[in-house]
Amino acid sequence: MTAAAPTPDRPVVVLGAGLAGLTAATYLRRHGVPVRVFEASPHLAGLCRSERDPEGYTYDCGAHFITNRLAAAVGVSATCRPMPRYGETVWHRGRGTSYPFGLMRSPRYALSAAAAKIGGPFRAAAVTAADHYRGAYGRKLADEIALPLTEAWSGAAGDELAAAVGQKFATSLPRTIALKVAAKLTGRTVAVGYSSTVPESPHVWHVYPDGGIAAVCEKLADEVRDAIQTRSPVEAILVEDDRVVGVQVNGERIAAAAVVSTAPVHVLAKLVRGTDRLAYLSRFRYRAMVFVNLKFDGPSGLPDVVTWTPGTDFPFFRLSDIGLGLPWLVPAGKSQVTCDLGCEVNDATWAMSDAALGEQCRAAIDRIVPGLAARYLGSRVVRTALAYPVFRTEYEADRRRFEHGTGVAGLVSVGRNGEFAHVLMEDVYWRTRRKVLGLIGR
Amino acid sequence: MRPVPPRGERSVAPLAFTPTLCTLCGVEDADPVAVGADFEYRTCPDEFLAVRCRRCGLVYLNPRPADAEAGRIYPDDYHAFAFKPAEYGLVYRVRRRLEARRLLAWARHLPADARVLDVGCGDGFHLALLRDFGPPTWTLEGLDGDARAGAAARANGLEVRGERLENAGLPPATFDLVLLIMTVEHLPDPAATMRLVAGLLAPGGRVVVVTDNTDSPDCKLFGGRHWGGYHFPRHSYLFNRATLTRLGELAGLTPVRVVTAMSPVNWVYSVRNWLDDWGGPRWLVNRFGLKSVPALAAFTLLDTVLNLFNRGAILHGTFAKPGAAK
Repeated sequence: MTAAAPTPDRPVVVLGAGLAGLTAATYLRRHGVPVRVFEASPHLAGLCRSERDPEGYTYDCGAHFITNRLAAAVGVSATCRPMPRYGETVWHRGRGTSYPFGLMRSPRYALSAAAAKIGGPFRAAAVTAADHYRGAYGRKLADEIALPLTEAWSGAAGDELAAAVGQKFATSLPRTIALKVAAKLTGRTVAVGYSSTVPESPHVWHVYPDGGIAAVCEKLADEVRDAIQTRSPVEAILVEDDRVVGVQVNGERIAAAAVVSTAPVHVLAKLVRGTDRLAYLSRFRYRAMVFVNLKFDGPSGLPDVVTWTPGTDFPFFRLSDIGLGLPWLVPAGKSQVTCDLGCEVNDATWAMSDAALGEQCRAAIDRIVPGLAARYLGSRVVRTALAYPVFRTEYEADRRRFEHGTGVAGLVSVGRNGEFAHVLMEDVYWRTRRKVLGLIGR
Repeated sequence: MRPVPPRGERSVAPLAFTPTLCTLCGVEDADPVAVGADFEYRTCPDEFLAVRCRRCGLVYLNPRPADAEAGRIYPDDYHAFAFKPAEYGLVYRVRRRLEARRLLAWARHLPADARVLDVGCGDGFHLALLRDFGPPTWTLEGLDGDARAGAAARANGLEVRGERLENAGLPPATFDLVLLIMTVEHLPDPAATMRLVAGLLAPGGRVVVVTDNTDSPDCKLFGGRHWGGYHFPRHSYLFNRATLTRLGELAGLTPVRVVTAMSPVNWVYSVRNWLDDWGGPRWLVNRFGLKSVPALAAFTLLDTVLNLFNRGAILHGTFAKPGAAK
């Protein structure tokens, strides 16, 4: 897919110095391909950045942990700590049920799921997320838990979303059980549902690097420091005859043999000049997210590291007890719970004051752990405009087309935003390598 | 075996790493197959990733420890420097007989004035066998990149230099037999080394490569993490029959025979690593090691049977340099 052989005067240009961009840049460098990285912000690490406040709390923007396999691949394993604990609970009808074993023990869900399985071969392939969940989990579990959660994070109804939403996340039930059993035997937080690109395994578990997730990006950046230019937004990707010929940075035109973009796809659509091949990407939408970090005195009392709250009576759809999963990130004797609120940029939730968001979440969490609100110490809010790609049925055909490439020679789009895919850290690492492989000409 | 520190303890600093490409394909196009640690010697706090090339099937560490880390990942009590009869008793005597038989089979056609080179000879175990059981007219030389190995071998009265092949300045086209016994998997670039070896061989000369087999049942069973053949982080490249054949061919050599052979060692270490890593009781872990006669005997039996079906734990590859032997 290379438009022309890369040379030092006409390198491969990478947009963005987050995990995907740095993975691409190091991969190209290792194969002797000249590369330059342009990062719009003053910082490296993109979505992997985290911040520590003077009191000793840590605020992640996106990723909370990685796997030991990714850590080993990047060479940061020695400075990673294993997560002591990981588990998920669904809070429904006023009580918590562990996932998946607790839900499986419930006869109403088990029977409905069994009925769905039996009926499976007689149903047409699911088109919408609603059909997919009802077919995969049974009507009860889909309607009471999976769909409300999906609708909360995506902002779209289950029948406005493509079936691919659910298929992307799924680890089969037998596999989940096997991995959970391995976790019990080894005492390790075996990762379930955290990689769809490379196989899950009893030998792959959650870890957290000292210095935050960004340590992964810093390690990669060490190999290509001389090629990275920060505060340098790429203003245009120049295409002639459906081939990449260069980029424009700070008003200057730079020849490029190929471009690896990590930009959100609706932004990519605007960056590309000289072709309208990618215009269809401008209607792809990302969901924004507000993360409200609540601080409490003493343990939170939440049942698990992750608590899903499908009920519409909660402002959030998910709670993460940071101190339970990653105790060293929270000051001793305190706890920190991150509440995830799906929203749109500039809607009522996005615009609400930090204090009001804190109060709203504080009041709601008290209904899960009565008395917790009294131990509230304050909150800190993080907003992100690009949290989840939303697979709307209206552009599903276009999304599938985009999965097969940009259609512009020498233009590759990688990363969570760039692929417009529900991929996590490890997926980004492996998928980026495979996508960039085509640029090394071997 | 050094005392094993408790799991998770960080006794030493992280290793420095070097990114790796497939030595056969010259490209990194690979899937992850295993993550593991230095289960046997605990020389470092790191975990390591083994990947399998999607093009040729070669398994390799990526990244691998930087060359400068050799002194650390090969500790002074490393078995290749210190396989002593007094310490290993019966195991030493059995291994010596077994290996002597294999070696003499490979050396059967050598002329009286043959010149033999053992690359990565460790403490000179195999050279000593050739000296003790072969004709006195053979010229026997050894190389090992680690100076400690060379010193151990010289103490045995052998001619061994503590140098790497590329720095040894050996005369080209002079050797009748070159041995790489449990060596090729340790090298930073096996394809380059094989090209050097091919240059050293006289016409008709042969090289014998012995290495771990990634197509073996022990690898299939324990290959996600605990397989002894990984020997994390000391084995950079791991072969099967196809990739070993390719290694020889890329160096311009003709494959004569690439077959599997019996070895209990990877089985014993796979079980040991698994038990140790998953918190098995120490008394049980200690039943599996190079000094555990019952475990070695049991797996010798098992692997002998597997080897009848060409599924042995290790590979023997014999390659010839084109041309007539002298």
